[in-house]
Amino acid sequence: MADFQPADLAVRDLVIEYSSGGYKVRPIDQFNLDASAGHLVLLLGASGCGKTTLLSVLAAILRPNSGSVRIGDTEVTELRGAALTEYRRHSVGIVFQAFNLVPSLSAVENVMVPLRSTRATRRGAKERAVSLLERVDLGHRLSHRPSDMSGGQQQRVAIARALAHDPAVILADEPTAHLDYIQVEGVLKLVRDLADDGRLVVVATHDERLIPLADGVVNLTPRADTSPREPEVVRLEAGQQLFAQGEPGDLVYTVDEGEIEIVRARADGSEERVTVVPTGSYFGELAPMFGLRRSAAARAVGPAVVTGYGLRDFRERFDLAEPKVLAQSGD
Amino acid sequence: MLFVSLRDLQWRLRRFVIGVLATGLVFALALLISGVSGSFQNEVSRAVDAFHADRWFVAVRAFGPFTSSTLIPASAATAVRHEPGVSAADPVAILRFTVRVPAVKDINVIGVVPHGVGAPVVRDGRTLAGAGEVVADRSVGLPLGATLDLGGTKLRIVGRTSGVSYYGGTPVAFISLADAQQLMLGGQPLATAIVVRGTPTAAPAGLRVLTNAAVAADLQRPLKKATQTIDFLRVLLWIIAAGIIGSVLYLQALERTRDFAVFKATGVSSSTLLVGIALQALVLAGLAAVAALVLAWLLTPTMAMNIEISRSSYVALPIVAIVVGLVSSVFGLRRAVTVDPALAFGGA
Repeated sequence: MADFQPADLAVRDLVIEYSSGGYKVRPIDQFNLDASAGHLVLLLGASGCGKTTLLSVLAAILRPNSGSVRIGDTEVTELRGAALTEYRRHSVGIVFQAFNLVPSLSAVENVMVPLRSTRATRRGAKERAVSLLERVDLGHRLSHRPSDMSGGQQQRVAIARALAHDPAVILADEPTAHLDYIQVEGVLKLVRDLADDGRLVVVATHDERLIPLADGVVNLTPRADTSPREPEVVRLEAGQQLFAQGEPGDLVYTVDEGEIEIVRARADGSEERVTVVPTGSYFGELAPMFGLRRSAAARAVGPAVVTGYGLRDFRERFDLAEPKVLAQSGD
Repeated sequence: MLFVSLRDLQWRLRRFVIGVLATGLVFALALLISGVSGSFQNEVSRAVDAFHADRWFVAVRAFGPFTSSTLIPASAATAVRHEPGVSAADPVAILRFTVRVPAVKDINVIGVVPHGVGAPVVRDGRTLAGAGEVVADRSVGLPLGATLDLGGTKLRIVGRTSGVSYYGGTPVAFISLADAQQLMLGGQPLATAIVVRGTPTAAPAGLRVLTNAAVAADLQRPLKKATQTIDFLRVLLWIIAAGIIGSVLYLQALERTRDFAVFKATGVSSSTLLVGIALQALVLAGLAAVAALVLAWLLTPTMAMNIEISRSSYVALPIVAIVVGLVSSVFGLRRAVTVDPALAFGGA
């Protein structure tokens, strides 16, 4: 159980693509990131934006389509076989969403699992597990099973388990997702402490309350540009693409002349025509409204003219009211 | 890491106990029917040995003394005695009878020369001294001194044998050859075989000689299909046991999918997971084998048929249990190996 060697993270040109429901999805496209040891980095974004996928790649559980991930001196994307297992055991510790503790094991046994998977003796593993649980203030709950512990206590056991091999990098997936505000406080302090010890801590979350805690934030949700902007008139030749599937999108388009076909790429490489938008109709409003990537591509069927509007202009033009705030907690 | 598997069994204790008991019952049934099969084979040996003969003479066309009722003159024993290598020879009449004791019961009635070759060695009482007496096996269910009514002829039980039966537990009653001839052969001086001590090298005209092994093989022949069926059923029971263990473990593997994913994501090797599941299979099968021994011990006395579980069956049980356990865990093992560690990142 040697002390960890601080390690920096460098992600270059990362592309992750997979098939979902028969369609090709590319949540991470040409992604770059640098983070230093001792920093707490938030991967912030809504569900489906790719933060857990990115975390899986950093944990060497998912292999990217292209690009590189370097942690310290290790090129993670090139790891295979025993080296991969060794990396998962010693270089990264993972705190899973929903804790993912083994229900049949006590707190101390849950922490012992990664230790016993190596050649640690039973006594050595138990001593280490006890010391880690004491560190997360669970010295009095060693023999309790997960079902006998609160969410916050389970999360702390999960953190202790992630620290079992004293890794240089801690990856946490939605660490506050199943906790109430009292439990959140303790867990956040613990996560911050891990970074202060010199570890690189990468947290995937949609919880923006964590932002003040972080040294760096990676916003994986495309932000809609709601500032006033002049409408953009675009003239398209037959077959010319207006935007591609998977791109971030700020504009909502109206078809002034011609027709626009909306097509979605299938996982097998073929295309599916979703719809054809006629003159006078609009399309592409969901990406800017909900901070999503374009779920399909748009291209002209024949010569066409479209006008792109910013979200605010679009709402005004089509008389779409902003939702009213009905109540505000704390008021 | 084995503690994880054992804890998991504790965690699902009720299901595990049900699995052990169900598998143990199946193992016990397999043991019991192997005991029935063993009884069929053992009783043949005991029946043949009860005559304390070295060779048997039967009519040339008869297949064997027990399965054929081809009659020969009792006086043929005289000719046999003159054959080289024969030290003693006496006629026997091997027949079947139905009696009331008080329930209707089939018995194998064997007429022998009192104190001659083929006369029974008794477990209690004394051996046959002459007409009007019977030495019955204990399985007939009558005590010493009781009367056995054979077709209206009342014979007194003077001695009892133990475990002498054939044709699937049908008990044997030894009577004098004279009584047998009177009762079933119309008083004619006939017999069905000549039993011999010594090793004759030739047979008188009209007779052929059989070894004890040949007689036993002939006696087992009518039960061959029953024995084959029992062996087939035993294999089916092993398969059922494998199915029970396999389904218990596969169900557990399905429920532990997230656990396996977490283990893999934290660097636990697939081989470690495999050993853990195999251990669960072995524990389940091993405890089921112990349960089977207890159940078989409890159930054997309640069976109407004689159950003789051989030592080899007891030795084979844990070996079969291990094999059954390992084979049945294949699906669970496969499940564990194919789990994608990325599943660990899923939500609740």
